[in-house]
Amino acid sequence: MAVTNWIDHLSAKEVAGAVYPGVGSEGILVLIAFVIWIGWHVIAAKQENDKLAKLAKRRPSSNAWKSNVTDG
Amino acid sequence: MTDQLGALTTIFTEFYYWVTVVLMFLIHVGFCMYEVGASRYKHHQHTLMKNTMLIPLVTVTWFLFGWWIYWAFPTGPGLAPSIMNESAALITDDSAFSAKWYVPNSDIMAVNLGDHISGVFWAAFLLFSWTAASIVSGAVIERITTFAFGILAIAIGSVFWTIDAAWGWHFDGWMLKLLGYHDAYASGVIHACAGGFALGILAVLGPRIGKFSSSGEPRNIGPRNPWLVTIGLFLIYTGFWGFYAACNIPIFDLGPEYGMEGVTYWTATNIYVTPTTLSGITFNFLMSLSGGLLAGYVVSKGDPFWTYSSGLAGVICASAGNDLYHPIQSMIIGMIGVVIAYKMHYWVERKFKIDDAVGAVAVHGYAGFAGLVICGFVLNGYPSSGYSVGAMWDGTTYAAINPLGMFIGALIMFVVLGFIPGWIIAKILHGMGKLRIPREVELAGLDYDIMEAAKDDEKSVASSS
Repeated sequence: MAVTNWIDHLSAKEVAGAVYPGVGSEGILVLIAFVIWIGWHVIAAKQENDKLAKLAKRRPSSNAWKSNVTDG
Repeated sequence: MTDQLGALTTIFTEFYYWVTVVLMFLIHVGFCMYEVGASRYKHHQHTLMKNTMLIPLVTVTWFLFGWWIYWAFPTGPGLAPSIMNESAALITDDSAFSAKWYVPNSDIMAVNLGDHISGVFWAAFLLFSWTAASIVSGAVIERITTFAFGILAIAIGSVFWTIDAAWGWHFDGWMLKLLGYHDAYASGVIHACAGGFALGILAVLGPRIGKFSSSGEPRNIGPRNPWLVTIGLFLIYTGFWGFYAACNIPIFDLGPEYGMEGVTYWTATNIYVTPTTLSGITFNFLMSLSGGLLAGYVVSKGDPFWTYSSGLAGVICASAGNDLYHPIQSMIIGMIGVVIAYKMHYWVERKFKIDDAVGAVAVHGYAGFAGLVICGFVLNGYPSSGYSVGAMWDGTTYAAINPLGMFIGALIMFVVLGFIPGWIIAKILHGMGKLRIPREVELAGLDYDIMEAAKDDEKSVASSS
């Protein structure tokens, strides 16, 4: 439950330590965090694969990067 | 908190760990600078991104399960009973330091007015985790995929170093009880473990193209920006102050803790809750750093890259016993560690064709391993814990520090929790075709597209003006 009045909250017989919004919904938040974590790997891996495959197909020479050095 | 002294002690401890976290952030900044300085121009940006992205990956997984592992695994499980509940099972009961409180949905893993310590202590350990992963990052530059590195960073940062910390860096750890293991500032639990893990990966990953001639002779691919490497290492030194402080408990009354009736003894302690002083470890940090630099300069004949790295290797080697050594002992141990690390690096490179791009296995792995072994001799007979003293293999009491136990401990850190998991996971990733970037990309440079785009941008800006 959200804190709406600090005087009431801190003068209670037993002060509730957890003061973040949605106390009790931590399990759902953890599930969301797992989905974000795994999802990130999936998306980032696909992006990297595509990028590497595209560049590998072009086969620039090992010195070609030198012509891409910006002047300033 | 209802009394002022208790509140001051708690808030001092909270602030103390918070400061160590800020200082330790510099270790990661240093590692990033160091790695970019050591990489070649055409790989700079990807090298930086790889090391940067371990921050969120290890942090999130440390929150989700890494921290829980540390509190659950001190017993093995099944190797020695906990002193808290006398069970050898995973510690997940209602006892004070149970993993039960550190599941990610626990209400103390958040803003909680009743708990001022969990978050800062969690973060201090998290920064150790970043360091473990960052050690690995340097060794594998210029040819590993970011995907593979992310998986490996999570494995070392949120799983394997955590297990070794539970076993050998927790006041209730089974390695203290059975082996007399002592590793106050993490020669083994961070450095030997991460160094061994990096070596396991390198054995599968292979060298950078061109590192070895057709006859097998190693070629030097030196740092492209020695100044960035220098600043990076200085920042790592700086962050190490925070690392040392974070390995201590700043203020603790050992009298009641050890059950000494009527005795009050306030002191700083190491991670095992045995007494030391911040002042004393400051002597030893600086003397082992100096020993490392002195030896590194001579053994490498004044090579700046190795001299700076050797300062770090000196500290790492002496770290296992730097809570108790004399400063001159620390200096000498630091010197020995550097000679071993330097010689081993080139021997392994030639013999096994291992391309450790930044000398990470040497500086962290070999120096850390040597530091553990040396600690077993120098601190032979000292208690590994204040809670009790017993014999090796007893299990219900704590064995004294001894050479055999420390040697076995070093093997557990470097080989069992380092090399073997690193090798296995790298093999799996290699089998999936996800470990190494394509040869064409390695030759062209990971940054080829970014640089090409920047050049095109520059052209279009120039043509419009």
